[in-house]
Amino acid sequence: MEPEEIADLVRAAARGDGPAWTAIVEQFSGLVWAITRGYRLGPQDAADVFQTTWLRLAEHLGRIASPERVGAWLATTARRESLRIAKTSARTVPAQASTLIGLGHVDEHSPEQAVLDAEQAMLDSERARQLWRAFKELSERCQQLLRVLMASPAPSYAEVGAALGMPVGSIGPSRARCLDRLREMLTSKVSVQLLCTHRDEKLRLESTRA
Amino acid sequence: MPDETGHADLEEELRRVVAQIDSVPTALLEAAVGAFTWRTIDSDLAELVFDSLVDQHDAALVRGSTDARMLSFRASTVTIEVEVTSTGDSRMLVGQIVPPQSATVDICQGDSVTTLEADELGRFTAGPLHAGPTSLRCSFGGDSPQPSVATDWVAI
Repeated sequence: MEPEEIADLVRAAARGDGPAWTAIVEQFSGLVWAITRGYRLGPQDAADVFQTTWLRLAEHLGRIASPERVGAWLATTARRESLRIAKTSARTVPAQASTLIGLGHVDEHSPEQAVLDAEQAMLDSERARQLWRAFKELSERCQQLLRVLMASPAPSYAEVGAALGMPVGSIGPSRARCLDRLREMLTSKVSVQLLCTHRDEKLRLESTRA
Repeated sequence: MPDETGHADLEEELRRVVAQIDSVPTALLEAAVGAFTWRTIDSDLAELVFDSLVDQHDAALVRGSTDARMLSFRASTVTIEVEVTSTGDSRMLVGQIVPPQSATVDICQGDSVTTLEADELGRFTAGPLHAGPTSLRCSFGGDSPQPSVATDWVAI
């Protein structure tokens, strides 16, 4: 959507135009959700941040200095509220185990593994499952960046910068680096799997012979 | 957005996976559309200017010293100070309107509103409330020229 169209929607919503508001929600809800997910909040906290962000916007509609930049305003709000809620220690989810440990060594009974399992079940192909596993093993920063970039509709770099509190100029290089890393992980994962299959096959043959 | 990475294929695959696994829950989308109905048009907005959770120096946050969270909202004519105490998912509020004055306070949360009165010293207490996004709306006495005040939404 063009900045001028977005500014028109914000001005219309500020005058009480409900469909204009719905159009703003449709345009940016994917981005706001991606930000809360990137901060690894639990489901309730993510929902609270998402709702708080939209309630804030409803109240601020007529007061936004640059209505064409409402996406960046939402992204900044969602980031701040995510950080705020993460500070409430009782509500904070422990750091994901996969950031602390190496490839393929996630504790099979950990809550992280349970979440990962549930997610895997939603994917329709082995390739997709491999990709998601590799994604989950990226650094927290890479996961945040890629998750926000993958929001639908795709956000502008200004919005991504606001979402992550990073300069717009460093988004392109970071994106390339994170995708390089993701590709590396996928490749090494596949080769580990092939090795394992090969080894299992060998063992099977040996045991058949014995 | 241009692709400067040479990873368009991988990115496209990842985009599909994210869409399958983690799109915005429908109930939340509906809540976001519904947020519009909470809009106040004639109220003065009291912005969140202090939150002990994020604005207090870490050194002052001695673990276990207090569970209370202090919030301060500032509008052009009044400030609303709120202390939030948490027990599990339940929240208690103790509030103070500055300058002190009586007011009717609506505590808005999701789809519920709790109405209470602040005394002539501007004090009020509320709870137990549930955790989640909350906004306070204060309207002042009949002959007061003051417009009503709505605070920023904040998840308590």
